[in-house]
Amino acid sequence: MKQRPELLAPAGNLEKLKMAIHYGADAIYIGGQQFGLRSRAGNFSYDEMREGVAFAHANGAKVYVAANMVTHEGDIEGAGDFFRTLRDIGIDAVIVSDPAMIETCLTEADGLPVHLSTQASATNYETLRFWKEEGLERIVLAREVSMDEIVKMKQEVDVEIETFVHGAMCISYSGRCTLSNHMTLRDANRGGCAQSCRWKYGFFEEGDLLTEEMEARDEEPFSMSSVDLSMVRHIPDLVEAGVDSLKIEGRMKSIHYVATVCNVYRQVIDAYCEDPEHFVFDPAWEEEIWKAAQRELATGFYYGIPTEKEQLFGKPRSIPQFAFAARVISYDPVTGMATLEQRNHFSIGEEVEFFGPGFVRFSQVIETMEDVDGHLLESANQAMMTIRVKVDQPVATDYIMRKRKGVRARALV
Amino acid sequence: MMIQLVTTAQSVDQAEALIKAGADRLYIGNSRFGLRQKGDWTIEAVREVTQLAHRYGKEVTVAVNNLMHNDHIEELTDYLQTLKTIGVDDVTAGDPGAIRLIRQAKIPYWYDAQTLVTSAKQIQFWGKREAIGAVVAREVTIEELVLIQQQIGLPVEVQVYGPTCIHHSKRPLVTNYFNELGRPVEEAKQREFYMSEPADTTTRYPIYEDENGTHIFSEDLTLMGQLPTLVKNGLHTWKLDGWHAGAQFVEIVQLFTYARTNLLNGRFDRMEMEQRLHELQPEAFRLGTGLWLRKPEEIK
Repeated sequence: MKQRPELLAPAGNLEKLKMAIHYGADAIYIGGQQFGLRSRAGNFSYDEMREGVAFAHANGAKVYVAANMVTHEGDIEGAGDFFRTLRDIGIDAVIVSDPAMIETCLTEADGLPVHLSTQASATNYETLRFWKEEGLERIVLAREVSMDEIVKMKQEVDVEIETFVHGAMCISYSGRCTLSNHMTLRDANRGGCAQSCRWKYGFFEEGDLLTEEMEARDEEPFSMSSVDLSMVRHIPDLVEAGVDSLKIEGRMKSIHYVATVCNVYRQVIDAYCEDPEHFVFDPAWEEEIWKAAQRELATGFYYGIPTEKEQLFGKPRSIPQFAFAARVISYDPVTGMATLEQRNHFSIGEEVEFFGPGFVRFSQVIETMEDVDGHLLESANQAMMTIRVKVDQPVATDYIMRKRKGVRARALV
Repeated sequence: MMIQLVTTAQSVDQAEALIKAGADRLYIGNSRFGLRQKGDWTIEAVREVTQLAHRYGKEVTVAVNNLMHNDHIEELTDYLQTLKTIGVDDVTAGDPGAIRLIRQAKIPYWYDAQTLVTSAKQIQFWGKREAIGAVVAREVTIEELVLIQQQIGLPVEVQVYGPTCIHHSKRPLVTNYFNELGRPVEEAKQREFYMSEPADTTTRYPIYEDENGTHIFSEDLTLMGQLPTLVKNGLHTWKLDGWHAGAQFVEIVQLFTYARTNLLNGRFDRMEMEQRLHELQPEAFRLGTGLWLRKPEEIK
């Protein structure tokens, strides 16, 4: 039996927060309405935070708030009040990168734990020591840190370490890219990132404007788009290194993504920690992870410096895409009927898949479907409509029904 | 009033020419501990240039502003001791772990975390931890710069000439690209390359690779026309980066020295100064003001 690391999941709204916890997350990170880096992600009002914290704490989970903006003059106004309010709501920690914000939190909201955001690019044990001495409880490492470096950090400094295990990656050191500022007047470090790294650029040498030549030769343009991170096959290494929290990226991602990814990592962490010696990786876990993937997956910097294989070049490799088709409201074991809330169109004869917490999953062909009054339906074509469907295996509230929705091109420009 | 010209230097010979052209402080370093330094700054060369600068009553700042990984940290204390023995005046640093060791070595440092230095309160944080000044991000506007300097007693270094880094990746992005194309990868680290924006093919951003990964520069920035505003607002530390000014760099520094003299005499002629700078500017590189002259609210 090994000490289990925390599984930390993103949530863009209350529904995602609850589903993430339901699907196995030990902690959730969210954004407030100020000071975050995801101005376009769903962000929580104080009332929503209260509800989220109540739900999380009732289920033994924690809630962190990301306030990792790099502030300019004037931006920090109100930060003291903001942090005190979060503390009083019962938020378990804030994730901060700007030293001025860190100082404000430590001095003006005593008792609210501070985690250093990955945006601050903590890449060595001496930096961990510095922030520990300043009073931080946890450091979220830069994504550029290798597994060997983590092992050394854990030997050198007694502070909690959090690392990313899954999701999209900056191609640069986080915080050290302002392409978006200079090219589009959108501040990457204040939530405005235009993802300029994923554009296709001309590339040339001095006195040799190659761009036109490149076009003439139909040559691949220059780009800096990273594939996504997935450490699903390497959880044992992270546990052995002593990482305290395993973080999933994606406050802007769907419920389907959050539920699927949490479900898988929960299984892997539990399976390994319960019996490390007899642990065998189940290929079904990886197969499941791919159902929530938008780009190809790789292990980032954990085992070496990423090559061209970990960048998006050339013809996109197709990844089958799945959609959130319905959510289970209730299930009647006598009739075998599941009551569903529709989220995406589906019809009689369609093959779908149900999955639930604890890695339960099965395929189902929709054969019988009716509305709330018992009228038979051919298709569920209205958003949020309530329907009943006959299922071959038992389901439960908050199970998810997904359907295949074709193939998506890999490159996302 | 003391206005300090801080210039990069690529060799001891160039350093002497720069001092004669009016440089007050030379900014040098190697790519092990510093970021984006040109020239082969061995320990011997650092010693030589420090002795040279001190003979002229000038200063030397060494770049220790890299993002440090564990293995850098393991070597850093020895390096700092060497710099201290040589007698360099100070260093730049942005990595909190490096700063911790620099303070232990009792070497003065300028807080320089590149894109992350954007407010007075941040600089004050490091000021309380013995920083002697700060290098401010090129992503702030002049309006913000003025506000920052007003609130703090420490000098804020402003880049008045040269390109600035707008992207630092640990990945070898040029090598990766060449591998993808099947071009010989030896070229990736040896030559200088440029990239242009999809929407504006006349843009030209230098991109190069070294042991720290890949770096992309902005176009050349200048604040020549805004020097009076800087002086009036107490922004007296001016950095000039000669990354691709080549042989013209000494003359460019000379021009800024001349501009400084004229400013202090009340004879600064903006049109003339800008005109002369444009004449010295290498033709291949546009000279712009980056984000300096934007209104803060324009940047979302």
